[in-house]
Amino acid sequence: MSLGKLLERILQLVPVLLGVSLIVFVMMALTPGDPVQIMIGDQSITPEQEAELRRGLGLDRPLVERFFVFIGNAVQFDFGTSFYHRRPVGEVIAERLPATIELSLVALIVALVTAIPLGVLAAIKKNSIFDRLATVGSLLGVSLPGFWFGILLLMLFAVHLQILPVSGRIGFSSEVPTVTGFLLIDTLLAGNLRAFGDACRHILLPAITLGLPMTAILMRVTRTSMLEVLRQDYVTFADAKGLSRRRVLFRHALKNALIPTVSVAAIETGSLLGGNMIVETVFGWPGLGRLVVESIFLRNYPLVQAAVLFYAVTYVLLNFVADILYTVLNPRVKL
Amino acid sequence: MTRLNRLFLASALAFSVAAPAVMAQDLTVGFTLDADTLDPANHRKRETETLIRNIYDGLLTRDGDMKVVPEIAESMTQVSPTEYDFKIRQGIKFHDGSDMTVEDVKFTLDRIVLEGGMGGGVTSPRQGLMGPVDKVDILDDSTVRITLKEPWPILPAMLPNQQIVSKAWVEKVGNDGLATQPNGTGPFKLAEWRKGDAIILERFDDYYGGAADIAPVGKACVDRVIFKVIPESASRVAALLAGDVDIINELPPFSVEQVKNNPNTDVLTVNGTRSFFIAMNMQGEYFDDPKVRQAAAHAIDKDLIIDRILGGNAARIEGILSPDAFGASELPAYAYDPEKAKALLAEAGFPDGIDVTMDVEGAFKDIAEAVASLLTKAGIRTKVAVGESAQLTEKWRTQGKPKTGDMYFSSWGNGSLDPFDIFTPTHRTNDRGNSAGYANPELDALLDAAAVEMDAEKRAGMYREAEMMINADLPYVYLWVPQDIYGVSKRLKGWKPSADSRINLHDACVE
Repeated sequence: MSLGKLLERILQLVPVLLGVSLIVFVMMALTPGDPVQIMIGDQSITPEQEAELRRGLGLDRPLVERFFVFIGNAVQFDFGTSFYHRRPVGEVIAERLPATIELSLVALIVALVTAIPLGVLAAIKKNSIFDRLATVGSLLGVSLPGFWFGILLLMLFAVHLQILPVSGRIGFSSEVPTVTGFLLIDTLLAGNLRAFGDACRHILLPAITLGLPMTAILMRVTRTSMLEVLRQDYVTFADAKGLSRRRVLFRHALKNALIPTVSVAAIETGSLLGGNMIVETVFGWPGLGRLVVESIFLRNYPLVQAAVLFYAVTYVLLNFVADILYTVLNPRVKL
Repeated sequence: MTRLNRLFLASALAFSVAAPAVMAQDLTVGFTLDADTLDPANHRKRETETLIRNIYDGLLTRDGDMKVVPEIAESMTQVSPTEYDFKIRQGIKFHDGSDMTVEDVKFTLDRIVLEGGMGGGVTSPRQGLMGPVDKVDILDDSTVRITLKEPWPILPAMLPNQQIVSKAWVEKVGNDGLATQPNGTGPFKLAEWRKGDAIILERFDDYYGGAADIAPVGKACVDRVIFKVIPESASRVAALLAGDVDIINELPPFSVEQVKNNPNTDVLTVNGTRSFFIAMNMQGEYFDDPKVRQAAAHAIDKDLIIDRILGGNAARIEGILSPDAFGASELPAYAYDPEKAKALLAEAGFPDGIDVTMDVEGAFKDIAEAVASLLTKAGIRTKVAVGESAQLTEKWRTQGKPKTGDMYFSSWGNGSLDPFDIFTPTHRTNDRGNSAGYANPELDALLDAAAVEMDAEKRAGMYREAEMMINADLPYVYLWVPQDIYGVSKRLKGWKPSADSRINLHDACVE
């Protein structure tokens, strides 16, 4: 892809982000519920003190003015102050982000590593008992609710077998200096194998829970596209040439069969980043999803706005990555 | 050793259960929420205060029976209806080793009560909790005077909500620094804050000992306290059963048996401070008639619901006040009597019953469904509508503006256990929490007078009178005050839950 095309795609981000900002701002403003009343809760307060609280949050100013202040600051990467944390929301989000990204990536790896071999196998052994089991399994994977499956895993591995921890990212006897914020990397950088193992044990169940629906989807995509490819003339030709079955499958068929898998995986990664709320809540995972849910209930406008903008940027970028991967894997397609 | 063997050994080592190098005594709490900030003047959440309270001490605190006792203050004297003198204890140290002085006390209170008191034009979000405090003066090296704009008898009940910070420290680190670098006088100091995950506290060895009236006085018992954030209740229970944590808050009633049956865990309860009730829209189609409201009261079998759904962990109420609150008294009860309810409906002109909707938050849907089925049996055919807290608040707490809806299953907290904090907002005409739309000038006058009455006995009498009025007028069906339920490990000693839902761990030990 040429540099010009790349710049064009990046410039296309601008109207998308402006649109998203406007929508999220208006949606938050239209949602019933007054942040000041929520904050005061069950307390007595004088009207003057209430007005002072409202002024302090900047909610005494007209909506239009607030929007332009928000946009003006946002282009300078200033997303305002969290009503509750009373610190810049960028800072609060940045603290939580590594945990979410780490969990999403591990879930993605779990999904890819299980889905592709299973999908290929199911395609090769089409209509066998294995294929049917895999189909039922993937149906279950898509339909099992994350909160239920997660708690089931917890009861089994943490409460009954007591071999994995219930919640958190790492135990309290492990102290690891923060470098990247990704504990799996930081523990290795510190050369602390014990802490690395601890971090692995902590991330295992949440990553499986989070990755399960994606595994199921990717497996089905891989199976379908593999079946499609196996019907192509060039595969028959390769077989006819007398190439080994293994060589035909992995050198010729799989490479092409993976094109849809890769693009679906890239797009699904976006929903992994956004769909973490439930898994993070069940496993006490200190990520962004939980923070955003809490903030929505509390009508913590600045934090929700910034987080939604972040999700939007991530989603757009991942789609972009999917497009690039697509052109790499399939040179016939040009952006 | 082969390469494979080495790899295997390394991974076995890595995946083995991490054992701490030194057996420090840790107490771990599975807690619902992380702190928003560790600045005592800059937050608005009960959970945040619970965490901060282990790091910072206040002028006053509460003992296990919710009695207000001096903590950093040695004594409190009321000089006039609007002036309180506090004698400050000497020899108290902050975690950074500096001495605490009356300057710090004044600085702390000014930071909360003054407009723009936090600097940079920022007013503390906790200003409203300090009522009509006018100013704070230093009288001498060990005495501070708080002056009120008007009499406010609940000042002592509200002061435990504020904690003393170091003037020099705040000036050094600023508001932004104080959010993450606390420097208190409390029994524990911050070791590490893993945001969203855990707050790790260490015992402060120069602790002055805490409130003289709450034994044992001295340093904290355990080496470390860890507040581990586990928002999901099923996961909190799992952590307790797995032995990962020693205390969990908000144990759901349906998990009580499971925790009791586990050989290593137990359940502790304490009377809560939150009153539950059903608001009936007195400007609405049906509930403007007192007979219909009485019918609703007679239709609900509170004892049955307390017993079956709340596991017996609640106290029934006939007025707004918790049985533990100041001024609470025995009130006439509306007995469960569905036939009488039907008769009352007929008298009100609805012999065929009425169809109504009851709004409720998702968390209380099950209880609301049970209440609705009882109401329906008595002719008040009730449909439960689940809404979200913020949205329902806006719908029902209209502060005088017209409202829609029939019934609202709701509650109001009363951490101070002083009627002022719950009675006035929920019953005074057009006040913040008056979701029934109740308007009774006689009651308003009584509540206003009681709020500033300094004679405790007379004040209690006034609230008794007010309770009788609302018990007769019935703007709400008063339901119950649930107990707070905690799950604990049996190795925990010396800790009991507190009615204000704080988890003070100064006295707690683990075996």
